[in-house]
Amino acid sequence: MGAVWTIVTKDLQQRLRDKSVLIFSIAVPLALMTVLNLVIPTGADDVELEPVTVAASIDADDELADVVVSSLAGLSVFQVTVADSEDPRAAVDAGDADLGLIIPPGLTEDLRSGTEHSVQMVIGDSAGLSANILIAVTDGLLSEMRARSVSAAAAIEAGLGPEVAAQLAQQEVDAASAITAEAGAASDEQLSAGGALIAGQAGLFLMFTVGFGVLSMVAERESGTLARLRSMPIRPGSIVLAKALGAFVLGVLATSVLLTAGSLLFGVTFGNVGAVGVLVLCAVAAATSLTFIVVRLARTAEQANIVQTILALVLGMSGGAFFPIAASGALGAVLDVNPIAAFTRGLGITAGGGGLSDLTGPVLTLLAFAAVCLLVSRVIPDRGETR
Amino acid sequence: MRAVGAIAGVELRRFLRDRSNIFFTFIFPLLLVVVIGAQFGGGASNGRVLLTEAQSSLGEDLQATLTAADVTVDASTADAAAESLARGRADVAIVITAEDAAAYDAGEPVRVEVIQASTNGAQTAAQRVQTALSELATTRAQLAALTGAGAAPDVATQALEAAEEEVPPLQVDVVDVNEISQAFAGVTGFDVGAASQVLLFVFMAALAGSGTLIDARRNGVIARTLAAPVGTGSVVAGQALGRWTIAIFQGAYVMAGTSLLFGVTWGNLPVALLVLAVFAAVAAGFAMVIGSLLDNEGAATGLGVGLSLVLAALGGCMFPQELFPDALRTVSSFTPHGWGYRAFAEVQRHDAGVAEILPHLGVLAAFALGALLLGSLLLRRSLGRAI
Repeated sequence: MGAVWTIVTKDLQQRLRDKSVLIFSIAVPLALMTVLNLVIPTGADDVELEPVTVAASIDADDELADVVVSSLAGLSVFQVTVADSEDPRAAVDAGDADLGLIIPPGLTEDLRSGTEHSVQMVIGDSAGLSANILIAVTDGLLSEMRARSVSAAAAIEAGLGPEVAAQLAQQEVDAASAITAEAGAASDEQLSAGGALIAGQAGLFLMFTVGFGVLSMVAERESGTLARLRSMPIRPGSIVLAKALGAFVLGVLATSVLLTAGSLLFGVTFGNVGAVGVLVLCAVAAATSLTFIVVRLARTAEQANIVQTILALVLGMSGGAFFPIAASGALGAVLDVNPIAAFTRGLGITAGGGGLSDLTGPVLTLLAFAAVCLLVSRVIPDRGETR
Repeated sequence: MRAVGAIAGVELRRFLRDRSNIFFTFIFPLLLVVVIGAQFGGGASNGRVLLTEAQSSLGEDLQATLTAADVTVDASTADAAAESLARGRADVAIVITAEDAAAYDAGEPVRVEVIQASTNGAQTAAQRVQTALSELATTRAQLAALTGAGAAPDVATQALEAAEEEVPPLQVDVVDVNEISQAFAGVTGFDVGAASQVLLFVFMAALAGSGTLIDARRNGVIARTLAAPVGTGSVVAGQALGRWTIAIFQGAYVMAGTSLLFGVTWGNLPVALLVLAVFAAVAAGFAMVIGSLLDNEGAATGLGVGLSLVLAALGGCMFPQELFPDALRTVSSFTPHGWGYRAFAEVQRHDAGVAEILPHLGVLAAFALGALLLGSLLLRRSLGRAI
């Protein structure tokens, strides 16, 4: 055990001295988290519905056009100010209004007679989410109005006579038929967009960090120091164990630093520290076990580097380090095996207040991934051995 | 000049001799582009909605209406839907209970539960769900009104379908004076994403070349080359030329792949290739700077991957720079990716020729020249220290 410890401390000292760990495992992911946080809007977390000013050009005598305007002005979700305007487009262009509404005269008459009528809305630079909602609301109002014309036309079509048609054209949509949506509570196991970014980046760079263990092993093989180590009275397994242990220690340290710094910098909480700690240990174990496969696949340090980078990026992207992957069914199940996805999922559970007992799924996934990787690494031929 | 060519030739031969490089340079980026393209590319939908009780008539009707609005709908159970939302794998879940389905069949008011994820597309998807629900409600009300007035149910259905065809559509015609939407006019689907991917990969792959320069320095190849009548400028130019050739070939290959797979349009092809060539020169120059500055391959790879991801994010390759706040857009002007992105945008969206993008090319060329000069200066200084 003394030999293992000596190799581990020597490797750790060397990694710190050549600054590679500091750059790769701490500086780069923190920089990337900061930049991505700046660049990518972090979802629905901080969406605010701003008041909207609408410049409207309508015929004051047109009954239905009036209904549209008063419905918009009466919205309760956010404040809507409607002002009459000769040229809404110019008003929007000049920045006097966020949105322009143009309803040419004759809407009521055209709807009654089934003639085409165009309604225009003009959006400008200042239009935000509220403007888009107003457009959707107007669209809804218009389709409701059109639905009455359709009902009337259908009544004629079905041979019910003009009186019934006229009656249907006036009739409000029956409340009994209403299908309404009730906002359900989102799962409390959901990471915020900022939290998902930190978790994903920590998982992605964990893959790179543990790769330093493999790299030092392959580099020793290339420079001939591995052969010399093997000539010492040390069991061959101890050298591999020491390299893996070094990678494991680095992985745990780097991931802990990233999660702590990320949550401090971006105001995200991941919940119970003990549960998060267990999750980190399991995720690092899974990532480290993957490097046992890399060390057998790569002949040179350069190849090891490339294979490790590829595995990290593939697992990182498919695990949702940059954006969540929309998937369900079989594809979703395949993605679930990904250690980064399992790690992020676990952090979602702890962030929602879950404890150790709620982490069974992610922890088992991570440990199973580690076991399978170890098994595979025993089976595949060692390409580096021939050197 | 012959020395430059010879050094570049050696670099290329070394690169091609390692077959794993061919896989990693040419197959891997395309695989990633396919994954990203499938997520955001031509086939991307208007959001992803999960639906419970999909077999009920309410579920089937809702699925048909949403699918018609280009929303991807998948059947799910309530628990699985909650988990998928928590992981950002879907935008909205519609939880239909057995009572909801029965109420729908009986023509009574229905109240379904709609849950939003914290994804960026969730609000828009929720709005589409709302629209689909009111469309269903309207049709139900119309049918009820017609049958109430005496029409047989099948006659009412047919009459309604005929009337839908007959009555002209009435919806908001949105006029956009918004600069951002106009900047994106003429681009579809994956065009923006493909240009960003080319910039990101070309830069990242070229930066991996810094390792070969470090290797050459460590093995004394550079020192011996300089013992011949060859200057450091020529050595850097030769090494960079090798990297540039690989980078430009890779970029052109990804461009061809995205055109064939996703129908991405690249505007005037020779001009687009010119942008790529100048950008690849910047990337090769950066590789030389890192290869001369650092003495450790691990640290160089770390810095390379980190720098290319951070610069790509700041330059608008992960989130379109048109949507950046002003301060961040100014920052993007200090990155080669920012200028590469703008040049590609001009060529792809506005069919720009060389004259229109001359400023962009000029800035990129200045980046490349500066990096190459700095690289040769640093290489000369690196000879004085032990590695």
